[in-house]
Amino acid sequence: MAETPLPMVELQGVSKSFARRLFIQNRSFALRGIDITIGRGEVVGILGESGSGKSTVANIVTCLTGYDGGTYRFKGRDIATFTRRERFAFKSDVQIVFQDPYGSLNPRATVRASVMESLLLHRRDLDKAGRMERADLLLEEVGIPASAGDRFPHEFSGGQRQRIAIARAIAVEPELLVCDEPLSSLDVSIQAQILELFVRMIRERALTIVFISHDVNVVRLICDRVYVMNQGAVVESGPARDVLSNPKNEYTARLLDAVY
Amino acid sequence: MTETLSPAVPSTAQSEAPLLEIRDAAVALKSGNRTMVSGVSLSVMPREVFGIVGESGSGKTLLTRTLLGLQDDAYVAAGSVRFDGRDIPSQGYAASARKLLGHSIGFVPQDPFSSLNPSMKIGKQITEAIHLAKGWPMGAEKTREAAIRLMGEVGIPEPALAFDQYPDQFSGGMRQRIVFAIALSQDPKLLVADEPTTALDAITQRRVIELILDRSRSHGLAVILISHNLELLRQSVGRIAVLYGGQLHTIVDAGDIGTRVVHPYAEALFACIPTREKELADIRSIPGEPVGAGFGLTGCAFSTRCAHAEPICRTAPLPLNERLAPRFSACILGRGA
Ligand SMILES: Nc1ncnc2c1ncn2[C@@H]1O[C@H](COP(=O)(O)OP(=O)(O)OP(=O)(O)O)[C@@H](O)[C@H]1O
Ligand SMILES: Nc1ncnc2c1ncn2[C@@H]1O[C@H](COP(=O)(O)OP(=O)(O)OP(=O)(O)O)[C@@H](O)[C@H]1O
Ligand code: SF4
Ligand SMILES: [Mg+2]
Ligand SMILES: [Mg+2]
Repeated sequence: MAETPLPMVELQGVSKSFARRLFIQNRSFALRGIDITIGRGEVVGILGESGSGKSTVANIVTCLTGYDGGTYRFKGRDIATFTRRERFAFKSDVQIVFQDPYGSLNPRATVRASVMESLLLHRRDLDKAGRMERADLLLEEVGIPASAGDRFPHEFSGGQRQRIAIARAIAVEPELLVCDEPLSSLDVSIQAQILELFVRMIRERALTIVFISHDVNVVRLICDRVYVMNQGAVVESGPARDVLSNPKNEYTARLLDAVY
Repeated sequence: MTETLSPAVPSTAQSEAPLLEIRDAAVALKSGNRTMVSGVSLSVMPREVFGIVGESGSGKTLLTRTLLGLQDDAYVAAGSVRFDGRDIPSQGYAASARKLLGHSIGFVPQDPFSSLNPSMKIGKQITEAIHLAKGWPMGAEKTREAAIRLMGEVGIPEPALAFDQYPDQFSGGMRQRIVFAIALSQDPKLLVADEPTTALDAITQRRVIELILDRSRSHGLAVILISHNLELLRQSVGRIAVLYGGQLHTIVDAGDIGTRVVHPYAEALFACIPTREKELADIRSIPGEPVGAGFGLTGCAFSTRCAHAEPICRTAPLPLNERLAPRFSACILGRGA
């Protein structure tokens, strides 16, 4: 666990509410002032039940959505004060993998083109042949034969599409990879395949990962640290094995007791 | 920890007759007569809690719905079903099944919320189910009392108040309990629950499963719990039937999974699951993609992914559980037998 002076991500008192039915006074809180710190090289789990606010955290960390209160510092810089150049760099520094791998791939582009597109924006040093070569390498790395690169997303199974989405996300060599329930939509035997892919990536690449899940056992096995969320608040955090074998919080304890 | 391993193997006296017997059942789609599920033979004892596990598309829902006479676009293409000492005639199977099984088997369908009427108070939905099962002579007041009692028994708080509310005023877990109350209203001998907890939180899921197990113990209710979650079943039921690619591959004691050599697919499926006890090194994925029901392979559907497969696995017919043995392995090479 790298304890660097400048964490990759620092959320301080971040809150977010969604207005319900246009009436501002009737706000539903997605996040209630949460603090989350992610150090360089860490694999951090965010665990919680449906509606606890996990995806909202993912979307804020990746700047897909804004927040109402608090501050978000990325590598020490408040993102509210980002310059255009910083905003552009952020887009390749931080990548996200979603639960539904179909939604994140362009259905009309071949999967090689999808991976290459990601390189076009953020790896200007590569020419077309270079991009193609790198795309094929990435596809192979996640277990998709390069010869299948000419096919379209719908020609692949859910697990294969998730592999392609991962290849696309790591194509630009991001510093931070945010994964929002990357296993949940997959069949049991395929979940294990993708889990193995993550384990290999964690070992072989210097990635910082935010791994969002409702699966306690997966988080215990692959994460260094964990944040447990309930109803928009972080109720407990710490080293994943400690928290998930000796919970201090009553909610965490109930959750762990319920898990099969 | 509320962990209970394999609690529900009933101590069945040798002489007791099975509650449900399914012999060599096959299910085909009406359009194109495509056989989707075949060779399913199993028996469930009175009071037994029995599991059916399979990955998505393995045929769990199609098989059960068709055998219960509830699937309009499929039919029983082969085999026979006997429930509580009565054979379901194969002529006009679906209608006979609905008539003969409808009152003695409570069914909780996958996606149960679509079976609740959103514009009818839940009390009315439950009393109607009671009327259907027990007839009208019970009287309105008695039926209302019975419904409220049942709602209390399935863990709906303040049932008398809830009686006059609509489904969308309840959380997912509570709606699931309402569906249970309806399924239990006819006092069935067998409850068939198809993925009853997949849409629920872990805490609610555990409560609903415990509710089912408690009901089984207190009322001598037999249960078939259908799930893709092998670990949930391993901890909750006595025996587990494993479907893959529309075939029955094994019927195994829950307690044997992870502790003994079992059928290769049951073993491989269990190795995929991160359980409480496992470390990363204990988790092994199955290579390749699952074969769905109806792929029309000969031999063992798992042969495309099985680490033990030999050429004969692709050509020999899959063994059937003809004698309805309580434990069974269809492995052509005899593994896990
Ligand atoms: N776009 C939106 N508009 C209104 N409310 C929203 C919106 N997005 C999220 N919410 C609400 O914010 C809360 C947190 O949602 P979020 O999606 O972050 O939860 P989650 O932990 O990711 O849940 P899940 O496990 O179901 O994915 C929920 O109450 C949700 O209803
Ligand atoms: N009415 C139908 N018409 C055509 N195909 C069907 C029909 N019902 C099911 N199937 C197909 O039969 C196969 C088995 O489906 P089934 O719903 O029984 O699977 P399952 O094991 O219940 O899966 P899940 O875990 O996703 O619920 C699937 O390939 C499905 O697409
Ligand atoms: S029959 Fe062959 S392929 Fe099927 S489980 Fe047995 S060894 Fe594996
Ligand atoms: Mg989410
Ligand atoms: Mg199903």
